[in-house]
Parts: sequence; C-alpha cells; structure tokens
Amino acid sequence: MTAVIFLILRILLSISLYVFILVLFYLLWKDNRQQGIWLSKRKIPSISLTIQTSDAPTRVQHFNSEEVTIGRDSTCECRLDDENVSNHHARLKYHHTQWWLEDLGSTNGTFINGQPVSTPLVVISEDEIRCGKNIITITISGDTFNNLMVKDPIKDIGENNA
Amino acid sequence: MVNTSNRSTLTSSNNKLQYRLLQVSAIFLFLYALALTIAPAARERTWQTEYLWGHWIGLLLWVVVITIAFNQLQKYLPDSDPFIFPIAALLSGWGILTVWRLVPAFGLRQTLWLLVVGILFIFCLRLPGNLNFLRRYKYIWLASGLLVTMLTFLFGVNPMGGGPRLWLGCCGIYFQPSEPLKLLLVIYLAAYFADRIPLKLSILPMFIPTMLVTGVALSILIFQQDLGTASIFIFLYTVHLYMASGRKRVLIISLVGLGISAILGYFLFDVVRLRVDAWLNPWIDPSGRSYQIVQSLLAIANGGLFGRGPGGGSPGLVPVAISDFIYSSISEEFGLVGSIALLALLGIFLARGIRIALHATDRFRRYLAAGLTSFLIAQSILIIAGNLRALPLTGVTLPFVSYGGSSLLTSFIALLLLLIISNEIDIEPFPIPKPQPYFFLGYFLAIELMVVSLATGWWSVWRGPELLSRTDNARRSISDRYVKRGSILARQDQPITITEGSSGNYIRTYLYPELSPITGYTHNIYGQAALEFSLDDYLRGIQGNNSALIWWDHLLYGQPPPGLDVRLSINLELQRQADELMTDHKGAVVMLNAASGEILVMSSHPNYDPNLLDETGSSLAQDAERPLINRAAQGLYPPGDALKPFLIAAGLTENPTKDTQLNLYQVLGFYTSPDLRLPVAPAAHPTEDLRISPLQMALAVAALSNEGIRPPARLAMAVKTPQQGWVILPALSDPVQALPAESIAESINQFLVSNQPYWEYASSPWDDSENRSLTWYMAGTLIDWQGTPLVVTILLEEHNTNLAREIGQSLLSMSLQP
Repeated sequence: MTAVIFLILRILLSISLYVFILVLFYLLWKDNRQQGIWLSKRKIPSISLTIQTSDAPTRVQHFNSEEVTIGRDSTCECRLDDENVSNHHARLKYHHTQWWLEDLGSTNGTFINGQPVSTPLVVISEDEIRCGKNIITITISGDTFNNLMVKDPIKDIGENNA
Repeated sequence: MVNTSNRSTLTSSNNKLQYRLLQVSAIFLFLYALALTIAPAARERTWQTEYLWGHWIGLLLWVVVITIAFNQLQKYLPDSDPFIFPIAALLSGWGILTVWRLVPAFGLRQTLWLLVVGILFIFCLRLPGNLNFLRRYKYIWLASGLLVTMLTFLFGVNPMGGGPRLWLGCCGIYFQPSEPLKLLLVIYLAAYFADRIPLKLSILPMFIPTMLVTGVALSILIFQQDLGTASIFIFLYTVHLYMASGRKRVLIISLVGLGISAILGYFLFDVVRLRVDAWLNPWIDPSGRSYQIVQSLLAIANGGLFGRGPGGGSPGLVPVAISDFIYSSISEEFGLVGSIALLALLGIFLARGIRIALHATDRFRRYLAAGLTSFLIAQSILIIAGNLRALPLTGVTLPFVSYGGSSLLTSFIALLLLLIISNEIDIEPFPIPKPQPYFFLGYFLAIELMVVSLATGWWSVWRGPELLSRTDNARRSISDRYVKRGSILARQDQPITITEGSSGNYIRTYLYPELSPITGYTHNIYGQAALEFSLDDYLRGIQGNNSALIWWDHLLYGQPPPGLDVRLSINLELQRQADELMTDHKGAVVMLNAASGEILVMSSHPNYDPNLLDETGSSLAQDAERPLINRAAQGLYPPGDALKPFLIAAGLTENPTKDTQLNLYQVLGFYTSPDLRLPVAPAAHPTEDLRISPLQMALAVAALSNEGIRPPARLAMAVKTPQQGWVILPALSDPVQALPAESIAESINQFLVSNQPYWEYASSPWDDSENRSLTWYMAGTLIDWQGTPLVVTILLEEHNTNLAREIGQSLLSMSLQP
C-alpha cells in the first residue's frame, strides 16, 4: 500500500518534470510566433519630404519604402529638376531603427541644417536638407517612438564616457 | 509606425509563462519533498515508521529566494531571456533536495548557500547593462582570481579529508576559488578578444592570453592535480579563440594541446593516472581504484528506466555522491526518464545561451555570453560523462545542482550575466563576420549532450540487469534485509538455513552449521558461497516466481519478491551421524541413492559456522585447514588403488593398455565435472595425473550397485513456488551405462561383507603432491538388494581405514535396517 502511493508520487513527479519541459517548448514556440507577429507589425516609419525651390511651387512627397534616392535621374524616387543636383545625389535609408542620410558623391554636395554631409547621418523631423537650390524638410511619422529609441544609445554612450 | 505596446505585451506574456514555469518547478519540488518524506514507509512497507521532514526547510527557502529573485528580475531586467532563469531555478531546487536526501547536514548548508547566492543575485541585478566595468578591469578581475587560487596552493585544504586541496576555509566555511576563477577567465578572454580581433592568428596578440591560460592550466595541473579544471580552462580558451578568429586550425591545435597535457598528467601525477586507469579498466579493480566509477554505474543501473523514486534508492553507496556523483544519484532515483529531462533542460539552456550570444549588441557581450554558456554546459557534460565512464572522472561539479557554495555562486553569477546580456530591446545585433564558430559550438555541445543521454540509457537499461547481478552490488544485501530469502530445507522439510526477523531487519540463520561447506552462506561483505550462491535466483525469488510479480516488485521497491524455499535430497539423520563420526577428522563423506543419484549425505570436514561469519570471515579465507572448501565436491584427490573394483568390473586386471584405462575413466565420469546445482571442482584432464573428487568417486561407485549405470547427481530436489507448490528441479544430465552389468557381480563378490547386504572396499593410497596418505572407502548395496540401492564413499586425509569402515558401516546399517 505504502509503495503504491509512493509509485503514484513517482509518476506525478516525472509528469511534473515533463510538464515543465513542455511549457518550456510552448514558451519557445510562442516566443518565435510573437517575434514573427511583432516583426510583421513593425513598419518602417514613413517619411515625407517637403521640397522648396525658387523655380517651382512647394511640393510634398510621401514615401513608404525603406530607401529614398534623391537626384536628377528618372530612376530616383525623389526627382529634383535642377542642374546643380547630380544624377544620384543623396540617399535616405532606414536601418537600425533610424532614417539615415548619405551623400552619394554628388558634385555640389549635400547639406543638412547648413552643414555638409560627409558620412551617413541620422535625420529626424524638421531637419533641412539642401541639394543644389532645393531645400527639403523632413517629416517622419511616429517620431515620438523614434526619439525614444534614440535615447537609449545616447545613454549608453554617456555611460561609456563616464 | 512601431508598435511599442506590442513589444510590452510580448514581455508580459513571457513573464506570465515564466511565472507558470516557476510554478511547475515548485510543484515538481513539492512532490519530490513529499515523496522523500514518505519514502521510508514505502521501503519498510508499513506506515509505522520515521518520516523525514528536514528537507522541507530547503524547499521553503528555495521558494522564498526564487520568488523574490524573480520579482526583482522582472523589475530590473524585464526583457531578459525567459527560459534560463526557470531552468536554473529548477536545477538548483533539484540539487538542494537531492543533497538533503543524501546528507541532511550538507543539505542545510546548501540551502544557506542558496540564500547567500540569492541575495547577491538580487543585489547584482542593478549592474549596468553594458557590463563595461567587467571589460575595463579585466586584468584586475583575472589577477585577483589568480591570486586567491594561488593561496590554495599554500593554504589549501580539503573539507572532506584526503584528496586534492582545492579549498580555502576557516571556521567550517569552505570556498573553492578555482570555481569563480573559471568565470573570471571567461570574462578576461571575452574582454581581451573583443579589444583585439585576431583575424590573422599572428603570434604576438595571441601571446599574452595563450601564455596566461596555459600557465594557469599547467600550474593547476601540477600543484592541484586537478585535470577537470585544467581541461575546462583549455576548452574555454579554445572556444574564445575560435569565436574571435573563426579559424578551424585553432581547434586542431588545442586538441593536440589537450592531448599532450592529458598524457603529461597521466605520467606525472598519481591522481590523474589513477583516474585514467580506473576509466580504461574499471572492472579489473572494482573494489579498489575503480570503486567510485563502478559504484556510480551500479547506481545508474539500479535506477533503470523509471528510477527508484526519491529516497527509494541507495545512491549514498557512491562516494562523494553530493558533489561529483550527484548525476548518478539523480539517475538512480529518477531513472533514465529523469536524467533525460535533466539533459534536455541543459540542452534548452545551451540553445538559449547561443541565441543570447548571437543577439548581443557588441562583441564583448557576445563573446561573454558564448563563453559563459559553454562554461556551464561543458562542465556539466564533463562531470556527467565522468559519472557514466564516457570520459575519465574529473572532480568538477554539476553547475546549479551539485553541493558546493562556490559552485552555486559561480553558476548563478554566470546566469545573471547571461540575463543582463539578454535584456536588450531590439537594437540590431552586432554583425558577425564569421558565424560558424557559434553554430559549431552549439552543435558540438548538443551532440555531447545526446551522447551522454545515450550512455545513460546504455548503463541504466541495456547493461542494467547484468550490472545489478554483480556480487559487489551492495544493493543486493540491502534488499536481503528487506525481502525474505527462501529457506534451504532437508529431505523431510527440516529447516537447514532460514531467514528470520521482520522487513528491514531480516537475518540469515544457519540451523545446521556442519553443512556449511555444502549449503554455504550469504553475507553482505563476503558474498555468497556454495548452494546459497548457485541457488541464489530461487532463494532470492527472481526465478520460479511469476514474471509479472517480479516486474511489479521491481517497479515498486526495486527489489525481488519474497524468495522461494528449496528442498534438498539430504537426509538429516544420516548427515548428523556422518558429521558426528567425522568430528576432528579431515575428509569427506558422500552417500547416494545409487539409482536416482540423490545425495543423502554430503559431509566435509573441517567446516565452519556461517552464523559467526562477521567475526571469523576474514580469517576463514586464510585458514590452512581450508574449512571453506567443500571437500566432497571441490576437493580433488588421487584415487590410487581405490580404483581396483572398477578395473575388475571392466575386466582390466591384467596390464591394461593406457587407452582402455582412459576409456574406463571417461565413462566413470572422472574427466567431467558432475553436473548439479553446486560449485564443483573442474575435472582432471586425460593428460594429467588422475585426481577425482569424492562426489565423482561416489557417482562411479553407484554404478557398481546399480547394474553398471552411473546416475546423475542431484542435491536440490524441488522449489516451492507460490502458484504450483513444490516444483521438481530435474537432474541436469542423463544416466550413463558405465560398466557392463554382467561383470559387476564378479567384481563386488570379492568385497562382500559377511552377513550384510552390502559390499565394501578400502584402500590407503599415498598423495605425492601433498605428502600425506589418504584413505578411500567405498561401499554399496548388493545387486540383489530389494530396497533402494545405496552407496557410500568416504575420503579421509589420513591413514585410517578403520574409521572409514566404521562410518560407512554405521551409515549403511542405519539406512538399511528398518
């Protein structure tokens, strides 16, 4: 009798051990699934460019892609009809949860807030890009989140220097 | 638009599942503790027993520490990996209860260590996430670790007495600095290689760490003779170098290095040699050098598939079960099922560790995560494989599980660092130029885990039954105390050897000690002898019982069902008479039923009292009189002219040729050992001088009283099974027509005894090899005797035909006169 109760306990013991492992596997599966759902919901924040130039009326362009090339060439997403702008002048690209601005070796250079762009830079809303005679003002949707994301690395860098 | 709320629901649902995991592990540990409490009742098969309660303190403290630690973890590291903390929690609880089950005093200590480690863990959760303080002060960390370890070279002690002195201690608290040193080495190597990327494998940047690691490993090997820690060091260094460089060459070089250091260790250090020898040939010296490993395998074998249940096995028989051999303890009580669960937990931990490394956001943290994971898993594999004889035994601990404060502390700090590294919101992981090392590391360790689980299955299920029947398996004598062994009975069911007492205290009692050389003994130190040995399966109940009953009892108790009684052919009255007359003489008496071969008397003198084996056991084996030998079946003596009646019966009186003589001996059975359930001496070979045992002689003599037919010998006649009652044990061989029936009368007519229905013949040959004279006496009923044909054979190790004649005649007249 004692041994039978002991046997039942032993069986329950093994079962609880394997329940633990099953829950682990469930968690593993759920983790992957949630990661997938989360990634699928995670959208690239759209970028709007407000283009001002003396020659033409101000226009606003919206982009939902992850890359926007600025230039005179017809393949560029953001075409600027200006002789001072190179065929492929500059590129806006989304990676590392940021929009980055990069000069593509333009003849007359790209400027952000008046400074020439030599290495890729992070851009945020209200930044002003100048290509030739065009002034492009950037608006990024959901910028509140973007700011939030930027904060952490800065904090990290701050600690590194401390 | 990035959905932040989604991320936090992910975290919170993970936390919920993590909480569920901790609940399940608490249920598991609760059931463990409960089973441990009632285990004595199950063992002794009664509710009136002493229950165990102490380990509930351990469980209670575990719940408190883990609950607080988990709450703090959620607060400070909400996005950390949800898998590794519950796994570590379960393993540490499993360890505490197992240690408590083995040695309660150490269980209490381990619980207190968990408390200390838990407080430290909670405090360290506040460490900054980038772990730069580790990276920046790498030399300080390593140097302080080395310094403390160096102190053990000078002031080291071993709290368990002998063995390597790897501990620093005072006032009853001991600490093993080589444990945290491994951790500090991982931190140092991660920091070093994160700063200098050795893509080219040039010598200079490699010089400092290589010298350092080899130096440390070598000095640990030389001064501490600790092969385990030295190989872990080399392994960790290899892992880091391979991760940083991505070169396969590294693996080959370090494999060679490991081989060289193993060979050096083998030839230079006794401890290492001892362990390697014990690993290669464990069966040569199972009671000496390989004692630990053989006992460990026996424990695993006893566990079998489902285990004996907490408190149901005897893992305490393995030395240092609480630290080095905790895996075999777990295997014994949780079985293959539990061991595989343990290994699966380690496998999931490994997978998560590699994932944390791959997702790390800088090189230092990536190396650190991979290093910590490989440290924990490799050390687990090393000691588990040592327990399983898959690798030589190395004195390292099983992380999280084994007894030892330093081990627990080191494991939990490694866990903490992994949790901190994993606590990164998806900032993109740092790019990996060469990912192969991580895959390779993961595959390598995962395959090793699979190999050790297969090895566990091999010992516990495949080789288990064979191992458990080994005589050095102390569990057999333990089960003898709990399960009643069958009795040995004489011809009319008079008890000869019985088991008395109640479950838990059964004692074997030998009511007729003079039969000891024949019936033998069963003893927890000296093993088994004679019939107790050869009839063990019946007496122990593993043969003759219903196989379902055997299976059920094994499942419930890990013990066989009650043993079966065995009835012998011995006639106790005649036996007593023979023993009485043989007192103070050396020799043997055998009396047979000449037709059936049943042994009515088998007496061997001098003999011993098996009831006194505890005191006399060790001296008996050295006794020059050799009382342990059954002279009737195991003693071999030259027959000399005692063979005369056979030669006459066979018609070989005048100058027989060698061949005809050999043929005669062959049919008389002098060149084959009698086949019966009793240890007998190996028969002489035709090329040697003829030496025969009194039993062989008696069987041949039986042919003279049984129309030339030599019967098969029989001693164990029947076994009493629960279903069918007494079941006859058949003879193991067939009768042989040894002599022509017609010529026998002519032979025995020469040896008639006046007015008696029997013949007799005595002779006194000289035994050259022992320089003594012997007396052979043989007698038997005449052919025309109407009753049972009987024969007597007597051998005396002295010249005394009168005594032989007296014994023979008294036995025959006792049995022939109604």
